[in-house]
Amino acid sequence: MNDRNLVRGLFLIAISLAFGLVSLRYPIGQFSRAGPGLFPLLVSGLLFLIGLITVVRSRFVERAHLEFNIKNIAIILASLCGFAVISEHLNMIAGIVFMVFCASFAGTSTYSVARNLKISAGLIAVALAFVKLLGFNLPLY
Amino acid sequence: MEVLHNLALGFGVALTWQNLMFCAIGCTVGTLVGLLPGLGPLATISILLPLTYSIPTGGALIMLAGIYYGAQYGDSVSAITMKIPHASSIVACIDGYQMTLKGKTGLALFTAGVSSFIGGTVAIVVLSLLAPTLGEVALLFGPADYCALMLVGFVCVSFVTTGSLLNGMAMCLIGVLLGQIGTDVNSGMQRFTMGLPFLADGVGLVSIALGCFGIAEITKNLDNRDERTPFNGKIKLMPTWAEFKRIIPSALRGSVIGSFLGILPGGGPVIAQFAAYAVDKKFSKYKHEIGSGAIEGVAGQAAADEAAARTSFIPLMSIGIPENAVMALMMAAFMIKGIQPGPNMIAGHPDLFWGLVASMWVGNCFLITLNVPLVRYWLSVFKIPYSVLFPSILFFCCIGTFSVNNSLDDIFITALFGFIGYMFMRLDLDAAPLMLGFILGPMLEENFRRALLLSRGNFTSFFTRPISGTLLGFIGVFIAWQVAAFFLQARKTTAHEQPA
Repeated sequence: MNDRNLVRGLFLIAISLAFGLVSLRYPIGQFSRAGPGLFPLLVSGLLFLIGLITVVRSRFVERAHLEFNIKNIAIILASLCGFAVISEHLNMIAGIVFMVFCASFAGTSTYSVARNLKISAGLIAVALAFVKLLGFNLPLY
Repeated sequence: MEVLHNLALGFGVALTWQNLMFCAIGCTVGTLVGLLPGLGPLATISILLPLTYSIPTGGALIMLAGIYYGAQYGDSVSAITMKIPHASSIVACIDGYQMTLKGKTGLALFTAGVSSFIGGTVAIVVLSLLAPTLGEVALLFGPADYCALMLVGFVCVSFVTTGSLLNGMAMCLIGVLLGQIGTDVNSGMQRFTMGLPFLADGVGLVSIALGCFGIAEITKNLDNRDERTPFNGKIKLMPTWAEFKRIIPSALRGSVIGSFLGILPGGGPVIAQFAAYAVDKKFSKYKHEIGSGAIEGVAGQAAADEAAARTSFIPLMSIGIPENAVMALMMAAFMIKGIQPGPNMIAGHPDLFWGLVASMWVGNCFLITLNVPLVRYWLSVFKIPYSVLFPSILFFCCIGTFSVNNSLDDIFITALFGFIGYMFMRLDLDAAPLMLGFILGPMLEENFRRALLLSRGNFTSFFTRPISGTLLGFIGVFIAWQVAAFFLQARKTTAHEQPA
């Protein structure tokens, strides 16, 4: 299963099915009077075909190892979502501080609270400049 | 004469204090962000797009164009000094980095700057002569022809950016499908919204661009754990007269090649650089030196790069069809400002069109006067460790997403596309064709349905019209060639394996 070419084909098929099956629920119409479902159905059909070719082709070409490092992407996504939630319920300054401290776990070097504080302060200053100078509407406080 | 009159109008617009300032800001910020590792022009423009929302239309477009050239220039700086290439500056790595190793960084940067200036100037002449004429040709295009043209664009972009027609086409189609999310214009029906009200207007372009390019790129860099060695070399900028004389012919060759390749669908800076480099390697007086740090190896490709970047505006502004992903983003920026690029843009907004053309040249002047002397300061960007840099890029991604609709929901969508973009990257799927598909998708559907309506559901009309028939024939030949190449390759490998 750890074959990048095969997984790519299956991934494409999955996307095509996700869109194709849903578009079947919309009116298809005729070619002369196309309904909202026709075009997405055609496109996902084409994508399905490409996915299928990719799967078949993966049997004939050399296997490629699929690398997937879940830790970094999970930390980055958590810091983004945390930023959105905290900005929504508290304010954006707290959101920025959370994002910097959370995202730094994904960093390569050692974790440093002092450095994170400095980065947060810098970014808050930039955000303030956006609000005061460029007229952005950020819920900072 | 008319061209001169129009250019005068354009310079009148571009040389106002306000627009000069926007141009300077765009070039400077673009260069700075373009220098950052992992951020090419596409990511730079998508991050900085929201900066232009509160600026008047003309200024905003001028600033965006400035960001684009700035990012490209910044890219070539990081390629020459550090060998950190992006899609837009792969060729600059070859001879440029070799020159750095020989201690000629300053000369390489100067050559890149001057050649870009020459390339840009040639391209602007081509642009101002050709764009209005092409705009008139575009009026001959019917819906079926537009469909065929967009398909040609998909095929070319897929092949050029990813090297694999299959993967690139898959990404184009996924982009088209993502563009379907939202309300269907013809029937008013909501498609693929899963009942979520904020999806009724469709997925935001900025969310997809920042997710697939910004966030995914950051994560990739973190995964790789590249520890870059900061650049601390000394820089001597001015070349000797003998060196300067070597720049000119190569740059002129590159300009012509770049101007031409920039106009073709799927063309643009990347393919132009390779073509110019190949031509220099074949015809230059110093061809034996190319590859080991020759001035020509930097000059030709830099000129072609810049020229193609300019002329790739021609299809966008005259026909209304972006030919690569960067132009697709530019088109989105035009549309956000309420301007539909296309045959009517030049006639309807002459001040904007010619102002933009003139500002390209002004931008060139800024790049050469500001950046060439300032380059030693720019390089200090490389001294910032990545652990400080990436939270800041993340912050700009958040602000960029938020400020489109002042909605925090969009950040979740960006995060989702960050994950999807990361998956794409790990599966070896390039996200650039996806952007093109996403922006052209709604246009493709509209023209497809209109063409079928006009022909009463008859598909032969796509093949019998001269323009669309020719374009589709081109696609057919191209696909047949690709399939044949695959099987020939497979046969060669089996034949190779058997004797062993």
